[in-house]
Amino acid sequence: MQEILNHPAVQGGVAPFVVGLVATLLFAPARLAGLAAIAGFAVTVWLVGGFSFVPLTATRKIILVSLAAAVAGVCADLAFKPTRASGMVLGVVFGAVSAWVFWTVLAQKPMKDALLMGGGVSVLVAWLVATAHSLRDAPVRAGAAGLTLGLGVGIAAILAASASYGQYGMAMGAACGGYLLVQMIRGRTSAAGATLTLVVGATLGLVAGGAFMLAELPWVALPALALVPLAARIPLPARLPVWGEAVLASVLGGIPAAAACFLVWQSSRGSAG
Amino acid sequence: MKKILLAALVAATPFAANAAPENFTLDPTHTYPHFAVDHLGVSTMWGRFGKTTGKFMIDHAAKKASIELVVETASIDTGDNVRGNRPRARDEHLRTADFFNVQEFPTMTYKSTNVKFAGENPSEIEGQLTLLGVTKPLALKVDRWVCKDNPNNKKPMCGGNATGSFKRSDFGMKFAIPNVGDEVKLFIEVEGFKD
Repeated sequence: MQEILNHPAVQGGVAPFVVGLVATLLFAPARLAGLAAIAGFAVTVWLVGGFSFVPLTATRKIILVSLAAAVAGVCADLAFKPTRASGMVLGVVFGAVSAWVFWTVLAQKPMKDALLMGGGVSVLVAWLVATAHSLRDAPVRAGAAGLTLGLGVGIAAILAASASYGQYGMAMGAACGGYLLVQMIRGRTSAAGATLTLVVGATLGLVAGGAFMLAELPWVALPALALVPLAARIPLPARLPVWGEAVLASVLGGIPAAAACFLVWQSSRGSAG
Repeated sequence: MKKILLAALVAATPFAANAAPENFTLDPTHTYPHFAVDHLGVSTMWGRFGKTTGKFMIDHAAKKASIELVVETASIDTGDNVRGNRPRARDEHLRTADFFNVQEFPTMTYKSTNVKFAGENPSEIEGQLTLLGVTKPLALKVDRWVCKDNPNNKKPMCGGNATGSFKRSDFGMKFAIPNVGDEVKLFIEVEGFKD
């Protein structure tokens, strides 16, 4: 059993997918099916390295922010009525949080590099949180965005030499895949809400930022990844069944995600840096 | 009588100097921490860090010594720096947050806290290893220690070999355990010139 749980594909793919699927079934009646995303991510964190927060490294801060995003998402869904500005506000908040996450890295860089790298990642995280949050009332599209962005970030991170960041990204994608599959099989939607979109936007933005800062992810992949939630919003023919909407939204979201992976692959050609 | 006293004083000077603490600066071209780690339970993979700085102090007569090493983690070299048909080489992977996380933790350090002697030479070093922001005790066994003048430049020098081991998971480096072994064996070669 331990040998199975040590396998990277189980840790970053099978386990979060199964957990995401089960969490969707469990929490759907309470309109908290979006917990699938954090549940799947958390099981991968546990399998890859366990929950430990001392010393508080950038990677551990990402995990902490993901858990906090889930709590904030649940609170937002249960206690607050979403407004048009909420996505932007949350984006700014999580964008600022990303500076804290990567502070230990940025503080060691020359000012110009720190501003460029820190500012770029903050903008990416803010953008992904805001655009993912705009899908909170579109469960199928939110799930498709989580699936394709997760796979995109995961595969790009692996190509960029960070297997654990790859597993974290893929885990989020797999968990959202489980969430999406339940809806496709049932033929009806399960609420995504901020519970799912905040976790997807914040976690994947930070994981992509981490692969950029701590591994070899080229910056050109980041704008391509940022397009994924937008692509999942492209209008689709009306009256599509749930499974049809899920497939089409995933294909649309998959295009920029695949482009990002291609860019990373292209950048890796040549000698080691 | 004065001449005899003066001669005795001059003759005794080298011994007095030998009894005093002597400080040395590490020669970075002859100081390399090597490491060995199990791979898939099949073979032992070897690597080393190419850039190490530091200093040591030794007082043979008083049997006291101390050493400080600063290792640049980005200088890791396991002999796999060429990507070939792969997107990344192994050494690039080892520099990421999966292992040495060199962007966040550019150095690892070792500072001795106590050095035991066997005869005139150090035999065991107790100290603290700081890796990935975690500091834990690490004991090193000194397998060889020699002090002499360098035959080329005639400068006084000391050096030797030390070995030890630690569990990388104790420092939070848990990625790929057990496929890549938890126990890391250290083999450190050190040479330093007297300041």
